Amino acid sequence: MTPVLRLNSMTKRFGARTILDGISMSVVPGEIVCFIGPSGTGKSTLLRCVNGLEGIQGGEIIFEGQRVEAHARSIAAVRKRVGMIFQHFNLYPHLTALQNVMLAPVVVHKEPKAVVEERARALFEKVRLSHRIDAYPSQLSGGEQQRVAIARALAANPHLLMFDEPTSALDPETVGDVLAVMRDLAQEGRTMLVVTHEIRFAADVGTRMVFVDKGQIVEDADPREMLANPKTDRARQFLNSIHA
Amino acid sequence: MSMDLLAYVPLLLRATGTTLWLSWLAVLIGVVGGTLLALLRISRWRTLRILALLYTEFFRSIPILIVMFFSYFGMPLLLGVDLSPFAAATIALALHASSTMSEVVRAGIQSVGRGQWEAAQSSGMGYIQVMRHIIGPQAIRVVLPPSVGILITTVKESSLASVIGYIELTRTGLLIRESTDGGFAPLLALAFLYFLINYAISLGGGALERRFHIGRRSDLVGAMA
Amino acid sequence: MDYTFTLRTIYPYLGELRHAAALTLGLSVLAILLSLIIGAAIPVLRRSKSRILRVLGSVYVEFMRNTPLLVILYVVYFAGPSIGVRLSSFNAALIALSLNSAGYMAEILRAGLIAVPAGQFEAAQSQGMNALQVFRHVVFPQVFRTIYAPLGNQFVAVILASSLASVVAVDEVASWMETVGSTSFRFFETFVVAAVVYLVLCQSVNLARLAIGRALFRQGAVAR
Repeated sequence: MTPVLRLNSMTKRFGARTILDGISMSVVPGEIVCFIGPSGTGKSTLLRCVNGLEGIQGGEIIFEGQRVEAHARSIAAVRKRVGMIFQHFNLYPHLTALQNVMLAPVVVHKEPKAVVEERARALFEKVRLSHRIDAYPSQLSGGEQQRVAIARALAANPHLLMFDEPTSALDPETVGDVLAVMRDLAQEGRTMLVVTHEIRFAADVGTRMVFVDKGQIVEDADPREMLANPKTDRARQFLNSIHA
Repeated sequence: MSMDLLAYVPLLLRATGTTLWLSWLAVLIGVVGGTLLALLRISRWRTLRILALLYTEFFRSIPILIVMFFSYFGMPLLLGVDLSPFAAATIALALHASSTMSEVVRAGIQSVGRGQWEAAQSSGMGYIQVMRHIIGPQAIRVVLPPSVGILITTVKESSLASVIGYIELTRTGLLIRESTDGGFAPLLALAFLYFLINYAISLGGGALERRFHIGRRSDLVGAMA
Repeated sequence: MDYTFTLRTIYPYLGELRHAAALTLGLSVLAILLSLIIGAAIPVLRRSKSRILRVLGSVYVEFMRNTPLLVILYVVYFAGPSIGVRLSSFNAALIALSLNSAGYMAEILRAGLIAVPAGQFEAAQSQGMNALQVFRHVVFPQVFRTIYAPLGNQFVAVILASSLASVVAVDEVASWMETVGSTSFRFFETFVVAAVVYLVLCQSVNLARLAIGRALFRQGAVAR
């Protein structure tokens, strides 16, 4: 199967610091790739490079056969097919939940409003928030906001979904709601990249677990395999420290 | 031309002193008046609260220039005694400063948490004692930064005293301009001098704030005058 | 000394007052609009790649905030003849008022822009919006909400500052007070009337701003 995403020796630096050091991997359609590892090791940056929020200094990113250039005009095409869900939701506060979801398909993809509205309402059903479509983000709980954010990303019919620590900013009670939605999406066969600290979720839902440390991929395996039998010392140390 | 201007430097310096003296005096009166007003604003008696509110809203909604006009031209008719431009300007500036100041002091007093009042009163202190030993010192820290802004605003407003004939910095600058054949340089020098004065005041204020470990100055206080 | 407050004495001058009030309002409205345009250029300057332009932007704001409007007015008023341009009193006052207010506008706009979290830009960009779309649909609505109240306050400040136009013989309200007062010697009455005019103008702007704000921003209170 042709990969949706291919990273060839991707390198990212902030000034003198190297955040990502020669990352190479591919993702085929339908994979649920979960990135785990200590904080600040570049996992979020990896996602942000894929949709051009950050530029890279070395290597290349190929999305659906097309090179990702952060500062070129071609990035718009990439962003139309990649959906991103942020740790802090980043919903537009001046728009209702429904308007948040409808904005990009209408403004960027130039789809007719009626079509988009129908799709949006269906998405709200899917994330179980039909009763809140006219609420403003300030009136929604964290978990509700994140589900709206997921609906917003889905509204553009993306080929790839990227989740940047989607539950890290949520109260423990609402984490489950968001993970449930993500579980549904995984079962639909979506291609997902998830940066998370929820190891159990990664083991249940993920098809692949990638352990990133100090800007490098240290281990890349089936989640249940890695949990039961980590092959590298660093991975083992990290997993032990979490379970402790 | 610049040679002529240099000869006027002593005059300009003296005028700067006059401006600073006028502003300082007005702000001093404004602080006292403003504090009194603030206390009225938060007092127990509704009438006093409303009166103080009306006073503040009134002076915030009218230009200081007409207060100066009235102070200089109108008061003598009312009181039967002539006011010098200096006195009239001081009164007008002080009236304005006290209204802005009252809002600042009120915010300062109210910024001290209720718990402080309760703790002090629980130990038997009366109203004045609580104000003097507990609330006052804490409120001052909140009041100081905006007060610097009020001083700067008053220095700028003091330029209006020139319109009623007081010989402060602006009037001096204009007079110099007239005696040097109406050039442009005196006016620019005037603007620059005010800029220096106010910049120095804000630097001084900043140093004072750092010395007493006070937080950032609120930049939202500042009339356009 | 005997002085009785008699409003009747200035009734004959109320016709001129209407004209004066119109001038005050007109001058203020024009100045606000102009200063918005000029002031909007400052944040652009301050984000420029050129150090000179950045410094220029900051210096402009600091200069306008620390120099008395009266001095700026004189500078503009006398600058005209110096460079051979004939500037009417109204225009000189308008220019001075606008230039001064622009400094404050720049600060208001700066605060508005800072209030938009970086995450908003990122979310919008991630969805494929170009710079114009990001500005129009995400940034501008949020900036507008933040600057709305300060803008209203600035409008009031400009109305009050317009009184300085009287110094260069523009016959607006402050000038009316001075002129009618000196002719009739009824300074108390003219003061009260002038004060009422300004009060009405300023409070109307405030009330209008609050009312329009409630209609525009359904989701919550707008700060004063």
